[in-house]
Amino acid sequence: MLQLLIHAIISFASSIGFGIITNIPRRTLLPAGITGSASWVVYVLLTGATKSVIIPNLAAAVTIGLLANTAALIVKAPVNVMYIPSLVSLVPGAIIYMSMKDFTLGKDMAAQQGLVKTLTIAIALAVGFVIAEALFNQIRQPLFKALHRQTQR
Amino acid sequence: MTPNEKNVIALCGRVGKILLENGAETSRVESTAEYIGAAAGVPVSCHATMTAVFVDANTGTHTHLVKVRTKNFNLRKVDDINSLSRQFTAGHIDFAALSAGVATIENEKKDFTLPQKILGAGLVSVAPMLLFKATWGDLGLAFFVGIAGYLASLWADQRTVTPYIASGIGGLVIGLLATLLQAIGWGSNADNIIISALMPLVPGVAITNSLRELIGKETISGTVRAIDAVLVAGAIGGGVVVGSAVIRLLTGGAL
Repeated sequence: MLQLLIHAIISFASSIGFGIITNIPRRTLLPAGITGSASWVVYVLLTGATKSVIIPNLAAAVTIGLLANTAALIVKAPVNVMYIPSLVSLVPGAIIYMSMKDFTLGKDMAAQQGLVKTLTIAIALAVGFVIAEALFNQIRQPLFKALHRQTQR
Repeated sequence: MTPNEKNVIALCGRVGKILLENGAETSRVESTAEYIGAAAGVPVSCHATMTAVFVDANTGTHTHLVKVRTKNFNLRKVDDINSLSRQFTAGHIDFAALSAGVATIENEKKDFTLPQKILGAGLVSVAPMLLFKATWGDLGLAFFVGIAGYLASLWADQRTVTPYIASGIGGLVIGLLATLLQAIGWGSNADNIIISALMPLVPGVAITNSLRELIGKETISGTVRAIDAVLVAGAIGGGVVVGSAVIRLLTGGAL
C-alpha cells in the first residue's frame, strides 16, 4: 500500500516534469499529472496480477484516454497536450535505448528482442487509445452537457 | 471584410506549419486548417505530412505548399492556436484578429523559466519504472545526472544544426557521469542511473505517437516519426556507449 503511494507520487512528479519540458500551458499541468499518476497505478497493479506485457499497458492507455479526454473538456485544451506528459512513464523509451545500445555493442539478438518488445508495448498503448476514444465518443455529449450545466450554476 | 481566397490559404498554411512544428498530430493539423477555411468562407482541403503542409482551395486552383521542419515539443503553441481557431470558428473574432493572433503566436517565446525546466528534467529523471528495483541512492543521483544530460542536449541543440547531435551529446554526458559515479563508489549500478536519467531524452512518446498515427491511417507521417525515433535512440545509445567507454579507459578497467 505504501509502495503504491510512492509509485503514485513519483509518477505524478514525472508527468509534471515532462509537462514542463514540453511547455504545456499551466492550467493543464495538474490534470496531466493526475492522469499520469492514475495510469501508472493501474499499470503497477496489473503488472503484479498478470505476466502479460500487453494487458497492463493496454489498460493504462485506456485510463489515460478516458481521463485525458474528460480533462480536455473541463480545461478546454487539445487532448494531445494531456496525452504526452501522462504517457512519459509508460512509453518504451528505455527499452528502445537499450536495444539500440545492444546494437552498438554488437549484441544482435538482444537488440532484436528489444525492438520487438518496443513495438509490442507501443502497439498496446496505441490500441488502448483507440479503445478509449471509441468509448469516449459515446459519452462525450452527455458529459459535455453535464459539465456545461455545472459551470453555469 | 470578407477575406480573399489567397489570404485564407496563406493563413491556413501558417497555422498548419506552427501546429506541425510544435508537436501536434497530423489529423489535428488538417482539421484545424479546414475548420478555419470553412469559417472564413473559403472551403479548403489540407493535407499534412511530417515534412510539408499542402492547402488547396476547393473552389479554385490555388494550392499552397509549406515546408516544415519538426522541432521539439512546444505544446503551449498548439494550445494557443487551438483556442484561437475555436474563437474564430465560433465567430467571436474576425479574420484580421485571427491573422494578428497567429503572427503573435508564431513569434512568441512564452516558456517556463530555465530553473523550472531544470526541475522538470530532474523530476522526469526519477523513473517510476525503476522504483524498488534500483536503490534510492541511484535514483537520487539520476535526478542530477538527468539534469546534466538535459542541459547538455539543450546546449548542443543551440550550437549545431546537424540533426541528432544534441541527443548524442546528452547520452554522452549521462554515460560519462553515471559510469564515473559508479567508479568512485557513489552509485551502485551505472546502468540503472543511465536508464533513469535518460527519461527526458528518449523518444518513447514519439514511438507511441507514430503508432497512433499509423493506426489512424496516417501512414506517411507515422513511418517518418518511427524512423526518426529509432535514429534518435541510436544517437543516444551511441553517446552513452562512448561516454562509458571513456571513463572505463581512464579508470583502467576493461572496455
